[in-house]
Amino acid sequence: MAATMRSISRRDEMSLAEPAALPVATSAAPRLHVLKRFLDRFKASLPAYLLLLPSLVFLALFTYGAMGRVLIDALYQRATPKAPVRFVGLDNVSAVLADPAFTGAVVNNLIYAVGTAVPSIGLALLFALALSRTHAVNSALRAALFLPVLIPMVAASALFLFVFLPNVGLLDYYIGRLLPVLPNWLGDPDIALYAIMIITVWKNAGYYMLFFLAGLQAVPEDVMEAAHLDGAGPYQRLRHIILPELKPTFLFVTVIAILNAVTQVDHVFVMTQGGPSNSTNLVLFYIYQQAVEHYDIGKASAATLLTLAALMGVTALSFRTMANREGGP
Amino acid sequence: MLFTRRLMLGLAMAGSMASALAVPAMAEGPTEIDLFFPVPVDGKLARDMGTLIKEFNETHPAIKATAVYTGSYDDTLIKTRASIKAGKPPAAVIMSANFLLDMQIENELTNLDPLIAADGTTKDQFLGQFFPALQGNAVINRSVYGVPFHNSTPLLYINADKAKEAGLDPSKPPQTWAELTDWAKKLTKREGDKVTQWGIAIPCAYDYCGWMMETLTMSNGGRYYNEEFGGEVYYDTPSMLGALTWWNDLVTKHKVHPPGATPGPAVSTSFISGNAAMMMLSTGSLTYVRDNAKFNYKVAFIPRNVRNAVPIGGASLIVPAGLEADKQKAAWTLIKWMTSPEKSAWWSRATGYFAPNMAAYKTPEMVDFLNKNPDAKTAVEQLDVAKPWFATYKTVPVRKNLEDEVMLVLNGKKQPKEALAAAQKAADETLKPYNAETSLKLP
Repeated sequence: MAATMRSISRRDEMSLAEPAALPVATSAAPRLHVLKRFLDRFKASLPAYLLLLPSLVFLALFTYGAMGRVLIDALYQRATPKAPVRFVGLDNVSAVLADPAFTGAVVNNLIYAVGTAVPSIGLALLFALALSRTHAVNSALRAALFLPVLIPMVAASALFLFVFLPNVGLLDYYIGRLLPVLPNWLGDPDIALYAIMIITVWKNAGYYMLFFLAGLQAVPEDVMEAAHLDGAGPYQRLRHIILPELKPTFLFVTVIAILNAVTQVDHVFVMTQGGPSNSTNLVLFYIYQQAVEHYDIGKASAATLLTLAALMGVTALSFRTMANREGGP
Repeated sequence: MLFTRRLMLGLAMAGSMASALAVPAMAEGPTEIDLFFPVPVDGKLARDMGTLIKEFNETHPAIKATAVYTGSYDDTLIKTRASIKAGKPPAAVIMSANFLLDMQIENELTNLDPLIAADGTTKDQFLGQFFPALQGNAVINRSVYGVPFHNSTPLLYINADKAKEAGLDPSKPPQTWAELTDWAKKLTKREGDKVTQWGIAIPCAYDYCGWMMETLTMSNGGRYYNEEFGGEVYYDTPSMLGALTWWNDLVTKHKVHPPGATPGPAVSTSFISGNAAMMMLSTGSLTYVRDNAKFNYKVAFIPRNVRNAVPIGGASLIVPAGLEADKQKAAWTLIKWMTSPEKSAWWSRATGYFAPNMAAYKTPEMVDFLNKNPDAKTAVEQLDVAKPWFATYKTVPVRKNLEDEVMLVLNGKKQPKEALAAAQKAADETLKPYNAETSLKLP
């Protein structure tokens, strides 16, 4: 989230600053020239900086400050419980990377990310295509599909806890008649992660649908009409016009879905606590375990840094691709 | 999560600044103290706590206590640690009894010995008020660090109607594992390969699973952990192997116990709905079962294989380290009041936990209550064979080292023997830093 906000604010600041700086470029001697240009540019962009200051203060207090502290904490560790903390450099990072629980959580998180992003984006696109025309019935259906988004994740998890109850839960009550052996949805390490993924898809598909609905508005009418006149069928229109037009939306929604896969672990807290046998342990929950259960701030901070780095990498990469696309023909 | 921790520290600091400003102005007023309390079972507890603290403030004008709700047992530990770090700890906390040792190792607890001595009593006199089984989790290195507040033990719950239906006599509940296995077989109903009613269900989710393993191991003659020293657990032992093998047999051999790991609420729901005819669960669920069961039920001691023995559960009152003297004194007054026979008995009736103070059961209201609810008496009687709850250095991860392996066994992914060997190895690794500074630090 912070990364998103930052990249947006940086873009604002540039667009305000640049036009004012350009006219000065042709006057004055070379040396002075640079300095003066710098000063002028600073003077011109001063209002922009002032306007950004309040959010900068809060970001510094609650985001950069905390990140800085995590960075410091990640470099310290104590050898035994009574020993004082000492500087250990990157030892915490290598300890985290060597921890099978962490690598297990990363693998789980990758499965979880792919397994939630793909179906929820697919469903969202399907919903959006089906409900793109606005009339009363579609509006009602849109509202119905959007409803899960409005339920807090913790409340939804508590609800699904009862749906998934072995033998007596809602799911087993109906599916029980069809299956020879009832699965223990949250108690079987082979199934639990997929049970958790179902909730995420149920909850997020409606949210992503909104972006696709917005994206569909941007598909140019005239091109569609032309294709229609040229005899392009519905599949060809989807394949060659709608999907290419939706590319930026896809990219954006994918980034959001990946961020969600890492930052939303409320249901893990409520439903499984990462179990059984670590089968639903995700990276953020691993960090929580290190900090709270193991009381190991050094390792928790190191794992946080690794996660942040990965998330920032994904975000930067995708926004660069997006910027290139916008700038291109 | 880190953001939350940060935020909490921030709030704690803001709170401390506010109270620092308030102190000069309020110099003549009552001593203000906070009590952190978790709600591990249901929401009603929060209201009961409000009633209790209100009564305390009315009868003690020199002290103004505020009850602060802090979530689950685990959350309460987090929040207490955060406020200790911020330099403004609460004056008293209701802390899960098996976190005390870990906190003492981290220097986060106030030794209560001087406060007991200042009252003119001895440690033996003070501890003598409480059931002996509860003292193990309150005393560390012969010093008192906690005062038992509300406690529980595991019980065997039986659906009496279903037992009668199966030709079993619920007034003579099973006393040994052999009898229990036999009951469970008779109480399991099948349609072809499909089980429509399970004979017995035992919960296994993080926290509960370790407690149930301790229960079964103790009934099998074992100890689970070293009660005198926080650096050892006994996972790879015959007593635990027997316990886990029997649990696994109920699932795979006799097929009378649902497969996989089932959390506590799922087990109690299953029992209430008649899907499981027997269950092992905490005495803390007694009120829930009493209020919701639409059939006759019966509670009994946990059956034995070698001996009758169960661990305790529940929470103790502690005073965090780093508190000013006047707040420490006020906290001590509050703690003594809350654990007195009358209050202890009242809290027990309100919540379903049993009262740690033995004199509570001599109060007329409690005698009355037990006559009306004989099932609550079983829990108290079982205390004679109860033993402390496992507490080690890093209690939660060490417990998890075992639970992860037990879950694999219950899901048919590992055999008990290899699972326990793996659990022992993992736990030894977790305990290594503590041993390096205690048992293995040699001259």
